[in-house]
Amino acid sequence: MTTYAIRRILQTIPILFIISILLFFLVRSAPGGPLTSARRNPNVTKEQIEAIEEKLGLNDPLPVQYGRWIGDMLKGNLGQSIKFHRPVNDMIAERIPNTLTLVGASFLLTLIVAIPIGMLSARKPYSVFDYAMTTVTFIGQSIPVYWLGLGLIVIFYVLLKNPVTDVPFFPVGGMNTRGKEGDPLDTLWHLVLPVTALSLGWIAWYSRFLRSSMMDVLHEDYVRTAKAKGASSNSVYYKHALQNAILPLVTLIALDLPSLFAGALFVETIFSWPGMGRLFWDAAKGRDYPVLLGVVMITAVLIIFCNILADLAYGWLDPRVKYE
Amino acid sequence: MARVILRRFFKHKLAGIAIAVLALLILASAFAFTTPYSPTNQEPTNSFQKSNADHWFGTDELGRDVFTRILYGGRVSLTVGLFSTFLSIALGVLVGALSGYFGGWIDSVLMRITDAFLTFPTIFVLIILGAFLREQQVPWLKNSVLIVIIIIAALSWMWPARLVRGLFLVLREREFVTASRALGGSSARIIIQHILPNCIGPIVVSGTLQMASAIITESGLSYLGFGVQPPTPTWGSILATAQNQVFRAPWIAFYPGLMIFITVMAINYIGDGLRDAFDPYVVHAEK
Amino acid sequence: MKLKFLTLFVVLGLVLSACGGGKAPATEAPQSTGEATVPATEAAISAGGGGTVTLIIPEEPTTLNYFMADAAIVRQAAEATAMTGLATINENGEYVATLAQELPTLDNSGLSADYLTVTWKLREGLKWSDGEAITSDDIKFTVEVLSNPDAGALSGTSGFDLITSVDTPDDLTAVLTYSEPYPGYLDQFAYGLFPRHATGEPADMTNWEWNRNPVGAGPFIVSNWASGESITMTRNPNYYEEGKPYLDSIVFAIVPEPAAQTAMMLNGEAQFQLWPGEFKADYDELLKGKATQHLIPGIWNMAIDFNLSAPFDGDATAATPHPILGDIRVRQAIASAIDYQTLQQDVLKGSVGDSTNPFAYGWYQCDLPRALGFDVEKANQLLDEAGWVMGDDGIRVAKDAMYAEDGTRLSLELQGYTAFDPLQLTEEFIVENLKAVGVEARIQNYDFSIIFGTFEDNSPRAVGDYDMLIFDRGFTTEPQGYNFDAYHSSRIPTAENPTGGNYFRWVNADVDAALELAGSSFDQQTRKDAYCEIGQAVIDDMPQVYMYLFQDNYGVADNLDGYILSTWGSMSWGAQNWKYK
Repeated sequence: MTTYAIRRILQTIPILFIISILLFFLVRSAPGGPLTSARRNPNVTKEQIEAIEEKLGLNDPLPVQYGRWIGDMLKGNLGQSIKFHRPVNDMIAERIPNTLTLVGASFLLTLIVAIPIGMLSARKPYSVFDYAMTTVTFIGQSIPVYWLGLGLIVIFYVLLKNPVTDVPFFPVGGMNTRGKEGDPLDTLWHLVLPVTALSLGWIAWYSRFLRSSMMDVLHEDYVRTAKAKGASSNSVYYKHALQNAILPLVTLIALDLPSLFAGALFVETIFSWPGMGRLFWDAAKGRDYPVLLGVVMITAVLIIFCNILADLAYGWLDPRVKYE
Repeated sequence: MARVILRRFFKHKLAGIAIAVLALLILASAFAFTTPYSPTNQEPTNSFQKSNADHWFGTDELGRDVFTRILYGGRVSLTVGLFSTFLSIALGVLVGALSGYFGGWIDSVLMRITDAFLTFPTIFVLIILGAFLREQQVPWLKNSVLIVIIIIAALSWMWPARLVRGLFLVLREREFVTASRALGGSSARIIIQHILPNCIGPIVVSGTLQMASAIITESGLSYLGFGVQPPTPTWGSILATAQNQVFRAPWIAFYPGLMIFITVMAINYIGDGLRDAFDPYVVHAEK
Repeated sequence: MKLKFLTLFVVLGLVLSACGGGKAPATEAPQSTGEATVPATEAAISAGGGGTVTLIIPEEPTTLNYFMADAAIVRQAAEATAMTGLATINENGEYVATLAQELPTLDNSGLSADYLTVTWKLREGLKWSDGEAITSDDIKFTVEVLSNPDAGALSGTSGFDLITSVDTPDDLTAVLTYSEPYPGYLDQFAYGLFPRHATGEPADMTNWEWNRNPVGAGPFIVSNWASGESITMTRNPNYYEEGKPYLDSIVFAIVPEPAAQTAMMLNGEAQFQLWPGEFKADYDELLKGKATQHLIPGIWNMAIDFNLSAPFDGDATAATPHPILGDIRVRQAIASAIDYQTLQQDVLKGSVGDSTNPFAYGWYQCDLPRALGFDVEKANQLLDEAGWVMGDDGIRVAKDAMYAEDGTRLSLELQGYTAFDPLQLTEEFIVENLKAVGVEARIQNYDFSIIFGTFEDNSPRAVGDYDMLIFDRGFTTEPQGYNFDAYHSSRIPTAENPTGGNYFRWVNADVDAALELAGSSFDQQTRKDAYCEIGQAVIDDMPQVYMYLFQDNYGVADNLDGYILSTWGSMSWGAQNWKYK
């Protein structure tokens, strides 16, 4: 397994290199450029735009620009934002803690809620509890996250208020009340609505998934054998079935883990949360190439590493899984 | 065999009901023209009506009948939802099964391709594709439901692929697989007859999720220049435009949301029925 | 094995909580004031002097240096801190002196008789926000920066290359010499000055720290910029107007979601909202007693552009006429099929004003009537005459039309850009209008970057591959650059001339002459007449049909006082005068 791990990690180097080329040309061949919005600005002349493009080196041949970018990146420098004139490293570093807070909290809540729901539903399928959970989770799946976010704002910020002070129960704007920056309790209070909006879909997905793979496992030979041998129902359920059912869940977690850094665009937008999702989206809309490529590249590295982790976790959790 | 599966399927009562509901939705959108309104005809002075006898689901910001628009919207949304999910799952299962069953270099190559697809920022793939299609000037390439289906499938097959691969990695080491391999069963036979039926549950779950998101993604695609352009309604686009009426007319969003919910629910129960039908061990007494 | 699962989840949990809990405060104040520790709702009333006003902006300004602004949002925030210059444009569109004692004119000899020398005199005792004196050398420095082509300025640099020298006989006087007469000599100094001592090298302007934390002459000073979240500014004690600003601080809150913005206004968490998403009637009802929406004339003018040249023929020039739109009667029919009144009043709920031509506001405003109002009968008659007969499916078909082959359907693509609601509502309405006279319009909306892209990007309007294009356009107090580019026949975009802006491919010799006259004359009336001639030609020749003029809309809390909304300023223009009732 160690050799496998080493081989996989070594493999990533050429792969990341290829991905960096693909991403660079993908991003650069999209129509528009960092100065497209300036073209709509009545105060800006076309000559000024051309002068700036020339100054930024945007008219150089693409391979030359790629060389510049990858060279800087290997030195750990993601470049300078075209729009904000700030180092991309700084801009990303500012956003990562915010995103980790939001997505991390949602992820944790999801696992805490989804795993018990999935297990209990599978334990007594087609029971009242199962049907109730099925309905709730399907509502969760059918509501687009932006609608969920808007709904939460209308209910908990506009309609429901503390009857005594007339202050809404939960805030919507940003991470902190002004003047309470860095106060963890205040941040927690600001987290409630966005985390709810972000988790509901994930909870639906994870709990449905666990329920389904549990039910599959329950019909397998070794579970039946264990039952036949007189093992208690609970022990069969928790010892044999759960362990096997949770394996495929690892894949899901690995696929979702990169969003810890990539952020969650819709929720960040609706709740004015300054996270990576919005940084990426603003950079994508404005074609701020250095910021955009920085975010995309970091995400790519994470996706690949999380997938390696998932594969390793398989072998570790289930010794029967073999690597060739 | 087919008959056995079919009988088992309909033994699952909810699955039977789900099929009926889905059929009803499809029929309703096919016969959408029977409502007294046109989906595009406007009456701007009659906007934002609440649900009433003339307009069952009320009217939207241009005074169009929301009920009629929901029925017409079902045409595109159901087609896109069903077929793109089917395509994406089929592709994902193929890649995942080959990768997980054979392992080795096949696994390496397929999974690295999957990784690459996962890392591409969707929005740029779409913008470039949109610009490319525009330049081709082939009329049927634009606004074509087929294109939308292919795009959505092309951007979503990686999830089922990784999932199925994970399941296969575990299942291929099980006794029943090693046994049939020892008995000389061909790989194709083992994959299709022995391993795949054991994966149906998770695959269906991932299918229901993809279906809901495909219906919504479709409206996002029209923002980028393909997908279905206004004024043709789709459930996703009705939802998206209702976003700006959250204070003025929140009910406009309710109906397309409800339709998506019903569809997703139906697909899931059909999936449950399918699992029972394929799984020889299901004990129906449990229900 | 159970242990392994446990470890997995414990580790995962630890990672997550470590990431979450250990969040460093992302908001390090460059100059912490400790003043803004009162929650917004209370601050609005307390704080003795003036309290805090929260302004909602939908996106983050990239800089507070107006001259580097690529988008309108920069000015919305920058005007509160670093844009107080020698003069400003008031709500009536007139220049008034700010840091200068008076405006240099011919009458007070500030402007020489040959228009080549301009003398600015600063008020006495002026100070930058850091307490240093504002001197004529700062005017000189500003000219040095904005005339330096390497500085990387985007906005507001027009005419600075014409200034050949700046003499500073004393600390208050700057004498500017121009190489040729420049009519915009006042406008140049209406957007702020740079302090020499607190900036940097002119050629390095884009990297100045000043851009995010400017030392300026405006009413407020940046005290905290939380990236992606808010910009807080506190009172500038050295502001030149005695006793102002009244407020202690202002906060620009970055709130991208329109519904969240309105909700914040509803709860009194914000007092000023830029471009609310709701129509005025709905907004005022929802926020009754709390806030009101104000509409002021804007500069964004909505029109349908027609492509007069054949699309998709691989030829970007005006050589081949458009098979359908090349016939003016078809364009006239389209213009008279649109129900302007219902569009403006019912579809857009009165949020827009009427507009018939490009010159719908400003000193060059031309009030010209429509050649053809809404008249379905007239539209049908024009199409009949033009050789388009009604087909079986309700769409007309060519029969002896001017350019189209017999049997061609009267079907046109209507392009627009996405994610802008009023535009989509307009499109959907027009499609129904045109259907009523047998014209099929197929909406095809593209991303911003495609519609406003370049010739190299194959943007449809640049390469001439479109039928009808609907979007809003605007220009400022000096309209020559934009209009020359849009209407002069030499500005048709082609492979040889890719930056041209005459997307209609309109060739009209009279218009060319009028544009040249407007560009060379110093007399405002002569210029205005020339522009009105162009406006009339647009109405007669119909390369485009103007439908309405957007109004700028702001939501303002009812307890705020002293604000003036101006077409020529941004939301924070005049913030020194704001106070609570």
